[in-house]
Amino acid sequence: MDRPLETRTLENPSDALNLANITLHHVNRSFGTVRAVDDISLNIADGEFFTLLGPSGCGKTTLLRMVAGFAELETGEIRFGERRIDVLPAHRRNTGMVFQNYAIFPNLSVNDNVAYGLRARKVASSQIGERVARALRLVKLAEHGNRWPHQLSGGQLQRVAIARALVIEPVVLLLDEPLSNLDAQLRVEMRAEIRQLQQSLGITAIYVTHDQEEALAISDRIAVMRQGRLEQIGAPDEIYRRPASPFVAEFMGTTNLLKGNVAAQGQSIRVGETEFAMPRIELPQGTSLSFSLRPEALRPLIDDERAPEGWAVVPAKLARLEFLGALTRIEASLSHGAVLRAAWLDLPLHRLKLGDSLSFAYDPARVTVFT
Amino acid sequence: MITLVAPRQRFPLVITVLGLALLCVFFLYPLSRIFDASFLDSKGAHFTFANYVKILGSAFYQQAVANSFEIGAAATLLTVFLAVPLAFALARLPIAGKSALLTLVVLPLVLPSFVSAYALLLMLGRAGLATQALRDLGIPFGSIYGAPGIVAVYTLTLYPYVLLPTLAGFKAIDVSVEEASRNLGASRWRGFWTVTLPIVIPSVLSGALLVFIETLENFGVPIVLAEDKPILSVEAFKLFVGETDQNPSSAGVLGVLLIVSTALVLLIQRHYLGRRRFATGARRSPPLIPIGTWLSRLASAACWAVVLLSLMPFFAVVVLSFMKFRGPVLQGGFSLDNFADLLGRSARPLENTLMLSGLAAVIAAGIGVPIGYAITRFRSGLTNLLEIVSTMPFAVAGTVLGIGLIISFNSGVMVLTGGWLIMVLAYVVRKLPFSVRSSASILHQIDPSLEEASVNLGVSPVMTFARLTVPLMLGGIVGGMVLTWVTVSSELSATVVLYSGEWQTLTVVMFQALEGTGAGTAVAAASLLIVITLAPLTLVYRLLRRYEASLL
Repeated sequence: MDRPLETRTLENPSDALNLANITLHHVNRSFGTVRAVDDISLNIADGEFFTLLGPSGCGKTTLLRMVAGFAELETGEIRFGERRIDVLPAHRRNTGMVFQNYAIFPNLSVNDNVAYGLRARKVASSQIGERVARALRLVKLAEHGNRWPHQLSGGQLQRVAIARALVIEPVVLLLDEPLSNLDAQLRVEMRAEIRQLQQSLGITAIYVTHDQEEALAISDRIAVMRQGRLEQIGAPDEIYRRPASPFVAEFMGTTNLLKGNVAAQGQSIRVGETEFAMPRIELPQGTSLSFSLRPEALRPLIDDERAPEGWAVVPAKLARLEFLGALTRIEASLSHGAVLRAAWLDLPLHRLKLGDSLSFAYDPARVTVFT
Repeated sequence: MITLVAPRQRFPLVITVLGLALLCVFFLYPLSRIFDASFLDSKGAHFTFANYVKILGSAFYQQAVANSFEIGAAATLLTVFLAVPLAFALARLPIAGKSALLTLVVLPLVLPSFVSAYALLLMLGRAGLATQALRDLGIPFGSIYGAPGIVAVYTLTLYPYVLLPTLAGFKAIDVSVEEASRNLGASRWRGFWTVTLPIVIPSVLSGALLVFIETLENFGVPIVLAEDKPILSVEAFKLFVGETDQNPSSAGVLGVLLIVSTALVLLIQRHYLGRRRFATGARRSPPLIPIGTWLSRLASAACWAVVLLSLMPFFAVVVLSFMKFRGPVLQGGFSLDNFADLLGRSARPLENTLMLSGLAAVIAAGIGVPIGYAITRFRSGLTNLLEIVSTMPFAVAGTVLGIGLIISFNSGVMVLTGGWLIMVLAYVVRKLPFSVRSSASILHQIDPSLEEASVNLGVSPVMTFARLTVPLMLGGIVGGMVLTWVTVSSELSATVVLYSGEWQTLTVVMFQALEGTGAGTAVAAASLLIVITLAPLTLVYRLLRRYEASLL
């Protein structure tokens, strides 16, 4: 028989006996000719909030379901600590999963929903009531235990789902786009709450989303996936500021992805007739490459304002303005017609006219070059 | 083998393998024996085409095939002409007493059609009540025996097969497509012919093909009304009962002909119509069309007339069962003599009916629900195969299945003939398509992530199925069981082949009374059957809709 998985306790995270870092080792899965998960290896630290991010069909959900035991691995292995778990049936893995549509049992009250996993574990009934109440307090639903699922709102159902997953004291909390069915306002509130809960419990969490803003806001580390492969793993600011590929640069928010050739001395890249100064590039002159420059890194120089020391300047023509309240988006055209996008807070709009020349300054360190 | 299968797949794999094994032994094997029989000589020793040459060369059996198809086609056309206007009226016109109509309209699907045929015989047959009354008045009245009577009964009992899907079709039309048609300059009338009707045509056709299959398979109606007119399903039975050779080769040939024709029609239905669904996915039913008071009254009267006419025979049978008969002749005056006759001799037919259909209902659900679960939740080559095989009994006439079971289990390792078990097996196989498809349709409404959540929380797949999925399906399962129970209690075609001695059912009593003179007993049996059928239906009438949906 398998020995039961050891877990930390909900009330005292520092008791953790089993510092279960989660390891995925060369995991593969294809559906027909599509490689849904293509040779993925990952190491998730104990207590880490780890997000799988990517467009739909990139394999992120399949990967999460592999950890839960709802999708099979073709090759590779998954371990919790030293223990290999991909060979275990799903109901013996001790993961707590929060489903996209919550999957609250409609035939059970809130209390019974939360108690479901405890009953499966044959926890003494004297303890069940207490633990269910504690879990519901944790998600601020202490008063709702006797309600029926159909009496709850979407946000409340979400909390029940989280309580139900946490009460079994799982090795890892698995969240499959848990916020996608909530409205925008609630989504922002809930993500902060989930993050706060995860940190106070010190539990490891794997979170799947296609929303880059959500991923940036909530994660310790993000893995960006594309067509079953890992594009990049890193902390949110690292992924945003130093994307490893043009795909990541574009997926993580609006950017200027420009193509050009290395100019003389490897100090700049020529895009059409415009030269963009760069940190030093160790490539022969004329090599064609692309680079990313975020809109907010471009500072419009208005009224002959001077660029800060060490910054580069590119000349352009103002083509379009989009006033969004706090933020104004600017589109300017370079000499050969390519578009440069910038965004600036509190732009003095009245001094700008379409068609005017407008220069932009930027810190060359903010440029990411893809070679 | 099990160790090669991922843990998640083991439970459905076990179900699938068991389900396929069961259907192989009690469905595919008997069918294969019928095919065998049709290709072997009278001793059952040598392969031959002689049986086919003999049967297909005989003018009598050619006529039987022609009759079956002609009657089927005529009845199908008539049901369409009856059901489509009715469906449109119920969907789009202000009809008085609409909800009552919608309830009543489903009843012919579960009431035994041969009881309706028998009532027609009692009313309009040679010695019928109405016939004599009409004759006394000097009104000439043609014969209802043969094609006219059979077509009339089929039309009045099978029209819900067309009506219900067509009604659903009319209701599912997004009213904006009609508005678009009018906005583009079409009149309401033109809009109906160019937009509304074409959208529901696939529903009409799929219902019509079901009617056609039912008419080919039906045994009870022609046995009552056909007299000397040869009908395929009846002749197969007669040949089988009459054949003295070791090998029932001639009955085998007719059985194969029946299977092939119904299977062909079913194939056309599934593959041709499966891809032609113009569901416009309306969230709300289109609004009623405002028509004048008089038109509305006229439409209401027409709808009520059709529905009441279809239920009239059943009503008549109940009334007649309380009247005095001498032999086949009605004497007038009320009494309980018929019931005393029926139950006085023995209560066994009633008990048998209740017991056998009860058993069949429980077993059909016990097998059908897990199969429905495996084929909805775990798609694989094997479950696809199971889905196809478990739907196939629908295309096999009860008589043919009965004959197949007898040939298969009359001797050898498993001898089942002569007992109750073989009857229950036949019922279970015949009702399995319904049980499987209704379970599948219930499951489609239950989010699979509920089961995943349960497994994720530590409950094994088997226990999740037992403790979560089945309770969630319970309403539907019970409803399905009641409907199986009801339809099995009026089953005649397989019963008449398989019953023996003490295992008579109410339908067998009726069948025997037809040949003999006990009209009173037959009417009492029919009346009891109607009560047995209607009583549980009033409890689950809302679930009738699912019955209909699961057949299409």
